[in-house]
Amino acid sequence: MTNGAMTNAAEPVTRLHPLSPLLRSIRLLLFAIAAISWQGYDKLGLASWLVLVGLVLLGVGALSVVSWWFTGYHVVGRELRVYEGMLWRRTRAIPLERLQAVDVVRPALARLAGLAELRLEVVGAGKTEAPLAFLPIGDAVALRDRLLRLATRTPHVVAAAPGETAAAAGGTEAAQPPLRVLHMVDNRDVLLGQMLTPQVWSVPFGIVFVGLQFLSENRGWTLIGAASLLTAIVGVVQVPVRRVMQDWGFRMAVAPGGLRLRGGLLETLSQTVAPTRVQAISVTWPLLWRPTRWVRAVLDVAGYAAQEGQSERQVTRLLPVGDVGTARRLVAEVVPGVDITALPLTPTPRRARWLAPLAQPVLGAALADRVFATTDGRVTRQLVVVPYERIQSVRIVQGPLARRLGLASVHADTAGALRAVAAHRELADARALAAALSERARVARAETARAEAARAEAIHEEATQTETTHAGAVQTETTYRDAVQTEVTQVRREPGDAPWTNRQIDPGSR
Amino acid sequence: MTEPLASALDPWPDTVRWRPVSTRLIWVEELALLLGMGSLVLGCAVAWRVLDWRLLGVAALVLAAVGLVRAVAIVRTVRAWGYAERERDLLVRHGRIVRRLSIVPYARMQFVDVSAGPLERVFGLATVQLHTAAAATDARVPGLEPAEAARLRDRLAALGEDRSEGL
Repeated sequence: MTNGAMTNAAEPVTRLHPLSPLLRSIRLLLFAIAAISWQGYDKLGLASWLVLVGLVLLGVGALSVVSWWFTGYHVVGRELRVYEGMLWRRTRAIPLERLQAVDVVRPALARLAGLAELRLEVVGAGKTEAPLAFLPIGDAVALRDRLLRLATRTPHVVAAAPGETAAAAGGTEAAQPPLRVLHMVDNRDVLLGQMLTPQVWSVPFGIVFVGLQFLSENRGWTLIGAASLLTAIVGVVQVPVRRVMQDWGFRMAVAPGGLRLRGGLLETLSQTVAPTRVQAISVTWPLLWRPTRWVRAVLDVAGYAAQEGQSERQVTRLLPVGDVGTARRLVAEVVPGVDITALPLTPTPRRARWLAPLAQPVLGAALADRVFATTDGRVTRQLVVVPYERIQSVRIVQGPLARRLGLASVHADTAGALRAVAAHRELADARALAAALSERARVARAETARAEAARAEAIHEEATQTETTHAGAVQTETTYRDAVQTEVTQVRREPGDAPWTNRQIDPGSR
Repeated sequence: MTEPLASALDPWPDTVRWRPVSTRLIWVEELALLLGMGSLVLGCAVAWRVLDWRLLGVAALVLAAVGLVRAVAIVRTVRAWGYAERERDLLVRHGRIVRRLSIVPYARMQFVDVSAGPLERVFGLATVQLHTAAAATDARVPGLEPAEAARLRDRLAALGEDRSEGL
């Protein structure tokens, strides 16, 4: 099966960088060689050992070449297609209108080789979709910009002809149009901010506690004791350390296609998030940060939320550490016209103390112009802001105790992981809130839909101009169903090819 | 509805016409409870006789008591379950102890599930569930006559098609 089978269309399939499989499997390779060395060197003698290692290297090399040969991607219409695998061929078609964000990730080794990984975040996908590892950094950046241009909702970006992007390929980040940098985090603040976390503060107490135990038992330090203590400390401190690593040199800029968030000490992660994909924003004010008056702000982007529990990437930082003024400025950048310091928050009745003895005084909810906002948390204050057009459904929940008290909670559900809950409102208030929320969500959606229709028209024109040769792949409608249907018929039409398992991206899987 | 419900689940009494679910759902739920709890109680009781371990006997009694309470609660829960189709959204309410009301716009619908478990099939019932992109959305309507389930599904699908806006 040659590469020609993949391409029956406009654009040739591009392969990844030849070093990619090697870089991806390098850890496994080293491990395998180490295992052979430890176990085998004694038994086999030098000659057979060398032969064995050589065979392993040869085998891995051959597999790498094969996997490299059969892996490729190209853009068809408004889809990115990724081809993989020799025996189990897999084609993934990623409708770009479902694209939530594109990350350029540069792990330390890839950085040395001048390569980068492209990660696409697609709504509804259970995990990061189609990680393209690895591409030369210039190509990665160019492809990202191109995908975003195709996916973005901003009309002026769509207006840019796709031909232009080809010219931009090969350029580096420096060659891109100048970004408007909104914020650069102070590395000293990042470090200090993570010092002021419960994890770090608990370490000395832990050491003292364990030390006292050893002293009281009069045994002194044993190797195992010291080792386990060290392991425990590493385990506790790894969250702050990882955060410092991730947030180091964090900066946020406005780029075509959305907000460009970049940072990282060893592994640079560069994310581009379209503001329209942001499901919710939260601003938290941890207890230990109160003296410095710092807050942390995160964005909830639908695609990221799918990978729950994996790492902190399920939500994207907007501001790792900074003062309220900065947070206010950045939030306003994501959702224009929102001022987090001037939200019309209304409190809950005093009798809500029965349900939330600590948090009652800080509970609040606000129906602002464009967003719904709720506050919660006595110790770690949290403000959650949800734009009306992101609300999927509204729920009123009332437990037995709340019924006695005549209270009820209103939930605004989004496709993300952050929860906006107006807890323990007066019953009449809760009902009015629910009615207002569904009404405002409807109005906001209608406005978005109108803008969308105008944009779909623009895309239609563009698509018919550039893609006339490729029947079936041109998608003028932006609804998901159409994307799937087009894809299915398309795959069936592929002439005489292996049975590709066509994994579709199902928006309903979560 | 036979009994007046507290107002939390009935926010717009003038404009909303609630439809109840079939009372046969009570039997489905009761049988499911009987099968689930019954086997647990029976298991505990048998183990108690065999092992002569008193704690197991207590566990069997407690489980039986919980089952009885649940059995009574089910009647009220099923009667409290209701849904209403409004012009732009579907309302679903359920729960007696913790009361929930979901407002799901048709435009946000990703897909509709119609399912019928073995017990439900015996009683000729089906469940319709509406999914949106939010995992927390809680719009399940059990205990529908198959014809009504099909009607609801088709109507929801049609309305969703009309107004789909996705995210």
